[in-house]
Amino acid sequence: MVKLSTLYVWAYIVAAVMAEVYISAYMRSSASGYTAISLLATSQATAVVLFYMQLKEEPNSIRLFAVIALMFLAALLAAMIATLG
Amino acid sequence: MMEQAINWLKGWLFTTNHKKVGILYIFTSCYFGFVGAVLALLMRTQLSVPDNNFLTGNFYNQAVTMHGVIMIFWFLSPLAIGFANYFVPLQIGAEDLAFPRLNALSYWLYLAGGIFEIISFFVPGGSANGGWTTYQPLGTSQFSPGAGPTLVFIGWILLTVSVTLGSVNFITTIFWMRAPGVTISRIPMFTWFMFFTIVAMLFSFPALIAALVLLVSDRVLGTVFFSLASIQPSILWDNLFWFFGHPEVYIVLLPAFGVIAEVLQVFSGRPLAAKNVILISTAIIVLPLSFGVWMHHMFVTGVPLALQNVFSISTIAISLPFDLITLAFIETLLHGNIRLNAPMLFALGGIVLFIIGGITGVFLSSPVLDRVFRGSYFVVGHFHYVMVGAAIFGLIAGIYYWLPRMTGRMYNEGLAKIHFIVSFIGFNVLYFPMNLLTDMPRRIFTYQSIGDWPLLNGVASIGAYIFALAQIALAYQVLNTWFRGPPSPPNPWGAATLEWPQVQTPVVGQEAPQGGWIGELNTENVGKEKLHDNLSSRPILLTAGIFVALLGVPYYSSSLGIATILIGLLILAYSVIGWAMDDLKERFVVQDSEAGERWPFHLVSKLKLGMWTFLSSEIIFFGTFIGAYLYIRAASPSWIAVGSVHSIPIGALNTILLVTSGLTMALALESIREGNQRNLLAFLGITFLLGSAFMGIKVSEWADLASKGFLISSQNQVISIAASSYYFLVGLHGAHVTAGLIVMIYLMKKTINGQYTKEEHRGIENFALYWAFVDVIWCFLFPLFYLM
Repeated sequence: MVKLSTLYVWAYIVAAVMAEVYISAYMRSSASGYTAISLLATSQATAVVLFYMQLKEEPNSIRLFAVIALMFLAALLAAMIATLG
Repeated sequence: MMEQAINWLKGWLFTTNHKKVGILYIFTSCYFGFVGAVLALLMRTQLSVPDNNFLTGNFYNQAVTMHGVIMIFWFLSPLAIGFANYFVPLQIGAEDLAFPRLNALSYWLYLAGGIFEIISFFVPGGSANGGWTTYQPLGTSQFSPGAGPTLVFIGWILLTVSVTLGSVNFITTIFWMRAPGVTISRIPMFTWFMFFTIVAMLFSFPALIAALVLLVSDRVLGTVFFSLASIQPSILWDNLFWFFGHPEVYIVLLPAFGVIAEVLQVFSGRPLAAKNVILISTAIIVLPLSFGVWMHHMFVTGVPLALQNVFSISTIAISLPFDLITLAFIETLLHGNIRLNAPMLFALGGIVLFIIGGITGVFLSSPVLDRVFRGSYFVVGHFHYVMVGAAIFGLIAGIYYWLPRMTGRMYNEGLAKIHFIVSFIGFNVLYFPMNLLTDMPRRIFTYQSIGDWPLLNGVASIGAYIFALAQIALAYQVLNTWFRGPPSPPNPWGAATLEWPQVQTPVVGQEAPQGGWIGELNTENVGKEKLHDNLSSRPILLTAGIFVALLGVPYYSSSLGIATILIGLLILAYSVIGWAMDDLKERFVVQDSEAGERWPFHLVSKLKLGMWTFLSSEIIFFGTFIGAYLYIRAASPSWIAVGSVHSIPIGALNTILLVTSGLTMALALESIREGNQRNLLAFLGITFLLGSAFMGIKVSEWADLASKGFLISSQNQVISIAASSYYFLVGLHGAHVTAGLIVMIYLMKKTINGQYTKEEHRGIENFALYWAFVDVIWCFLFPLFYLM
């Protein structure tokens, strides 16, 4: 029996890809367009991680690995971009 | 006789036993330590008098560079990893590491990387000479031409891969392989400190791998990440390097602290004071903060003042838990019944030297003082007190402490004490004068007779020879003990941790005394430990393939280079297929014990824990590349217009193909969870086809882009850097997809054999994680390259 959530996630990601393409075409090179595309990309990645990688069903100790890695990565990226002033 | 010799050799070359791998690490690291020491002596000889021409400037720079690289990456950390290999499984009551073949592979990759470092000296043009930090663009072909530096960086990449595999192995071992009764609170201090070290390795090394891969790509493929001045590549490198580089200080230091903590307890006859304070402060302050202080290495590069203030505060903050740890060590000694054997002397020496090194380091947290000291010998003195003083003295304490356990023989205590005294004096004569050389630049190969420089340098050089000579005593001790030492009692120090034969595994529910579990003596256990010698030729063969292939990389433009690469790839393919066949035919099976302490991972399988550990390092690895791309975009004065180069419809179509393959892979997993092998095979097949279609479109896209002039070698700087970023990142992702496709063939074969069932399908589960992760990365790459 196929879990419906698996199909819903796929449908969402495909829809999000379409939305990204649409935003890119009609809000080209604008800050709000970039923000919207970034949020959509992040939401797609989150959906894959939670449902296809099943992080949603894993114990907190496993989730912690992803959280710690993302935390360190965020620190690196933020400070790296900030060094440009 | 001949057969015996061959079996002996096979026993070492094909071993996957943690003790033997540990011994290999220890002896190999000591060999590299010897090479690093010889380079140091050459440098100190050159600097012993003013206006010296003992070395040329170029060779001096090579010696400085490779001394740092070899000592940090091939000596200090691997020596600790050697101890960890041998003693962590014993301390937690595990039979071996979680993944024994992966452990052997880690060792051989480490050795192969080290061989690259050594042979780099013997190729025309010599080795790398841009300093161990390889500040860019010093590492690019323009400033470091020749094959030597490329070999150094490739060797370095091999080491970082080895470290990542090792990190996955140790974390899984410590959390999943503990014997019944070895609860979290009963984990010994050395294992705890190794765990902290490994976590720091897991999250910091991916940034270094990323930086080195970008650099090698520049040198070999002609990308321009570090050679275009307009995108401030030096700051990009500094960020990536020091994000790894500062945690590396703790990676080197913490294992020595683990040894010191064990030794202090045993030789002061009392439990470690404030044990929980030490553990908690290391876990919640040292570990996170070690990733939040790197920019103090960049104060002089002109980073914004606000950032300087933030990193100045974090640098001061990270010294506080070390104050607590040092005070706890001293408190342990205060009321103890102290025995001044060699391990204790070296542990005490390590603490004293760490205090000096730590205090001199606090000055460098101030941006103002840092500006004065950064380029001077004061910094050299500071970090050698920490990384050589505290780390080496701590690890030598470990050698003396565990030598009777490893050899069953006792060393010569008198000679060991002389070794300590001469080492301690020699070390301080060598490095203390550097604390006074605050006005001498650290990166010069000769100097004029100015002020105290000749005197202080002369004294330091004498100290270097004293310190080096003292280590001959250590080499003699180890070899003499190993072959001729008098028999040692099973537990000569009366230690209470499980690696000693007379100590029993704690009984579940038994209360641990304050400061750690103290076992009861049980002489029946002596000599009954298991030594299962599962042999596998795959790790060394796989490494040989990688080694030969990479050896040809710097010479890829010649037919000899191409032939070398091809031979290497053939060996690699042979060993990968062999490894897969071993698994298919279950020739190498690691039996997991049914019972054990696995909290907080008792609900997940060993393989899944390992996979998630690996993926967490992949997050940093890919994230670093994406971050580097964002940095380049932000720093670049202009960029190619959206839609002008990349076809958005094709990119979108390809994205949908890949995310659909993610769906079919998820469905494959759901099928086997329900025990439906036919559906599993069908969904795996569809996933394979979708993945192949994705790669096919990618290849045709690349061909089309190249024909339109979107090339790395373009004279237009914007196109050149945009093409470098695109081909590199998308290519790296494509390599992951291709690797996934190859693994999928193997999974389909296993499915056809009926080896996956409703109950046993861990391979599918873990591959689904990998494949979904590849999807996640593309979710970011598509908009970054096609839409923004």
